[in-house]
Amino acid sequence: MSRLFKIEWIKIRSNATFWVLAALHIGIVLLVVLSGKLFIRSLSINGETFKNLVDQARIPIYEFPDIWHNITYVAGFLKFILAIYVIISITNEISFDTLRQNVMNGMSRNEFIASKLILVFLLAAGSALFLFISGFVVGYLSTPDPTIPDMIMYSGFIPAYLLQVTAYLIFALLIGLLIKRTGLAMGIMFLYTLIIEPVIALRIHDDRIKDLLPLRSIGNLIHMPFGKYMLREVQDHVTFKETVIVLVYIAVFLYLILLLLRKRDLK
Amino acid sequence: MNNVVTTQNLSKHYGRIHAVDDLSISIPERSVFGLLGPNGSGKTTTLGMLLDVVNPTAGTYSWFGNYSKKENRQKIGSILETPAFYPYLSAVSNLKIIAEIKSIPDANLDEVLKLTGLFDRRHSAYRTFSLGMKQRLALASALLCDPRVMILDEPTNGLDPRGIAEIRELIKNIAGQGKTIILASHLLDEVQKVCTHFAVLDRGKLLHTGLVNESSPEEYIVELSAEDNNRLGEILDSFPGKVKMELYQNRFIITLSDKTTIGELSKFVYEHGLILTHLVSRQRSLESQFLELVNKSK
Repeated sequence: MSRLFKIEWIKIRSNATFWVLAALHIGIVLLVVLSGKLFIRSLSINGETFKNLVDQARIPIYEFPDIWHNITYVAGFLKFILAIYVIISITNEISFDTLRQNVMNGMSRNEFIASKLILVFLLAAGSALFLFISGFVVGYLSTPDPTIPDMIMYSGFIPAYLLQVTAYLIFALLIGLLIKRTGLAMGIMFLYTLIIEPVIALRIHDDRIKDLLPLRSIGNLIHMPFGKYMLREVQDHVTFKETVIVLVYIAVFLYLILLLLRKRDLK
Repeated sequence: MNNVVTTQNLSKHYGRIHAVDDLSISIPERSVFGLLGPNGSGKTTTLGMLLDVVNPTAGTYSWFGNYSKKENRQKIGSILETPAFYPYLSAVSNLKIIAEIKSIPDANLDEVLKLTGLFDRRHSAYRTFSLGMKQRLALASALLCDPRVMILDEPTNGLDPRGIAEIRELIKNIAGQGKTIILASHLLDEVQKVCTHFAVLDRGKLLHTGLVNESSPEEYIVELSAEDNNRLGEILDSFPGKVKMELYQNRFIITLSDKTTIGELSKFVYEHGLILTHLVSRQRSLESQFLELVNKSK
């Protein structure tokens, strides 16, 4: 395990693309965590309907316990930046022929996948940890009277975020391995995320089936929280069923990844 | 002598094309084994299967009597076709990755970098290297694990004459340390200069396998010329100890009969008043054997 970690670490530590994308991801997450207040203020000033509905000063988006749900939901949209790096990493191994060379040098194909899963998990865990720390700091500063139960309540959204990002990055790994070419893989990834799956979802009228679509189910781990500020009912917890669906998808992705690599001639 | 690797009925088919067909060979330990064949004869595919990057359609192979475990590959240094490294990493970082993969994290990187003449450029990114330097880094990576077996596929491809000579020296040195070398090439001359054993492949089939020198070792072939080649031809015509004589590019190629020595030939020419300006003895060339084999199979 530490051998595979070291191998992956040497590969990324002097890779400029990795550091640029990591900084970009962290920067935008930070922006999300800090800029929500401004956003609400501009809405309440410019948006007529919004102004009458709520009193902006009393929207506690950055207060415990709401903050965990709010920031994990919004940060969930930023996982695509990490997915870009995962796709670059795997497609480069193919186009540089280094995947083949690694196997020739004495790595098994399963070990190679394990090293990429280590990368995926480190990206997801790093992102979740950063979100947790910044969320904690901002929450502590924003909450008038922070209590421990309030801090803990809803903090389960952080592990849900971790699971969400992990699942999405494994999906990116599968796409990269399948498509092989960097640009094409990214294009297909975004096409699927932004157009293909949403269009399929529009055609399905039964919500129970719709929620079984891969990316939709990954997104469903964290439901949109903001409705509650407009006095709508929202799901403010992660359900067992939704978690299981995502875990099943992770298993399916992993199975396909291993199958794909085992069957393939590395030429 | 033990075999480092044996294959049994190894085959790789791409649809109707039989890239490798029912190949059974054994490669003895401490040999320099030349795998010969025209382009597209299945050499690289065979080596790819032995290194677990190409899945065989049928058949098996076994390294060190231990099948296809990854631990076996950790003891093999290999270069297949073009060198493959991470372009944005330095030579040192690239070698470190390989050392980790081969489970030898304390490997002496400086030593192989010096041996291949890359020590001064060890911190440069791989993408800044010339083709020759890339080839040498590949060689350095193959040497890194102090391998029991080295697999070299067209190792002199794209190198200049000096680079080719260096690689040839290096191969001889490595073979001198008791390591086994498997060398795939379509350059017969190259194989003849360094190999002890060879096998010939054509369209995926094994045509021949044997020792490089075993074919009629007592039969000498001599190549010679003089300033006055017309006169030389007359003298050679009257030389009794020859089996065959031909003129090729202003040089006479003489096959000597069993009991005749080169000294006798040289003396004979001298006594007829001519000084040789060129005299090379050589074994029956692999090229002629090879062409015979390939033509026979057609």
